[in-house]
Amino acid sequence: MGLFWIDEGRGITKSYVDVIQDLNQMTGSSGYIYTEDPYRVQAEILYSLASGQEAILLDSDFSVQELQSIGVDYPLTQIRKTENQSLRIGSWEELLGRIEEKKSTWRLSIYTSGTTGRPKKVVHTLDSLTRNVKVSEKFSDNVWAYAYNSTHIAGVQVLFQAFYNRNPMVYVFSSSDIYQELVKYEVTHISATPTFYRMVLPTLPAKVTTVRGATFGGEKFDPSLTGKIAQVFPNAKIRNIYASTEIGSLFTSDGDAFVIPKSLWDKVRFSEDEELLVHKDLLPQSSDFSLKDDWYYTGDIIESIGDGRFKFVSRKSEMINIGGYKVNPHEVEEAIKRVSGVKDAIVKPRINNITGNILMAEIVRGGSLEDKELKAIILQELNASLQSWKVPRIIKFVESIDQTRTGKKVRS
Amino acid sequence: MKERLLSIINEIRGNNNQSAIAELRPEMSLRTDIGFDSLSLAALTVMIEDEFDVDVFEDGIVDSIEQILKKLE
Repeated sequence: MGLFWIDEGRGITKSYVDVIQDLNQMTGSSGYIYTEDPYRVQAEILYSLASGQEAILLDSDFSVQELQSIGVDYPLTQIRKTENQSLRIGSWEELLGRIEEKKSTWRLSIYTSGTTGRPKKVVHTLDSLTRNVKVSEKFSDNVWAYAYNSTHIAGVQVLFQAFYNRNPMVYVFSSSDIYQELVKYEVTHISATPTFYRMVLPTLPAKVTTVRGATFGGEKFDPSLTGKIAQVFPNAKIRNIYASTEIGSLFTSDGDAFVIPKSLWDKVRFSEDEELLVHKDLLPQSSDFSLKDDWYYTGDIIESIGDGRFKFVSRKSEMINIGGYKVNPHEVEEAIKRVSGVKDAIVKPRINNITGNILMAEIVRGGSLEDKELKAIILQELNASLQSWKVPRIIKFVESIDQTRTGKKVRS
Repeated sequence: MKERLLSIINEIRGNNNQSAIAELRPEMSLRTDIGFDSLSLAALTVMIEDEFDVDVFEDGIVDSIEQILKKLE
């Protein structure tokens, strides 16, 4: 049986036989999956699934404060394993059978950035995570480049696409020589964020002809990126995916338009002000969703072009997408305002061609510190309390912050 | 122009707790030699735009100092 996981950076190579052996050696779960070893994440997900135990996948980027805000005691080593259950599985087919048997009780919870700053819990079933997984004999020779943080939903979706077709995954998310790995393992499919492509494409010394499929999602469609991907992967079919932690992946693109499959036409509609609405039947279970008459308001403003096709226009909410990571500007503003010497702050997106947006902070001084000194203190404190993409990269000191008549800050 | 670019690059490196670099050579790679990740590159493109009114990443992806200087000429 072929390979399952290759992580050259960590010196890990696992076949499907190896992963089954590793699963058999696992004797219980704490219910939390929180590790920096991506292979371990895959194994824990498969173990929880085959044993029918609910699991909570914690973002490896979470800060201690964020873990505490969702009620997780840190460090997690204090959490004892509660179950004692060995799988005793002999083969991949047997593992599939066990998953089929246990899937109705299995849930995987993933957190997403919430509008109040506290991460929002989304409870997925196997069905909601595998909605777009395609299984066929013709995919049996696929080799996947795994180019996501393994604790994010997009990574989980690559796992299932590869696993159900018994394909190898080559972990390239933090690779230092992606070209060498794509060529060595004859990678046929890659799924990544636009930011990942923009970072990696210029470092590839030559075309990679083995790649037949390149997918990107998580950020606004970028037509110029399609051309660049096509140059590097000349044989690849390029697709964009509409997906989010809240709803999993729903649509894929045809050019720059997303296509709603006919089977979903009664589950997806557009509001009068052109917001994309998704019926609750398509949503994973989550107590945190706010529904209006059974419809979930996605916050995505679209342009309908008929025949179940639409183009993405903008986000309705104030969340700022930075290379696929959603940031709530209020959370960052609160963190800046906690720094002594700061009177007020506003955080705005600055558009750029690398990460879509980065954060710019305009800050009103409240003390006597020099700009340079205050900036250093602010950055030091933000770097200690926030993930790197939430730290404003551009900091400007201003005399006052513009407000609307209702007292709301003018963010753009 | 080169000095101004060096000063922008060192400001970003300073924000990242990286030490300042003494000089820019044309063949230097932003990613491997200067050690910029995607967020630092994004900051660089915004700061260059504010200073020179040129979006260096607009029509392609640049990586070397020489490529940036060419766009600023």
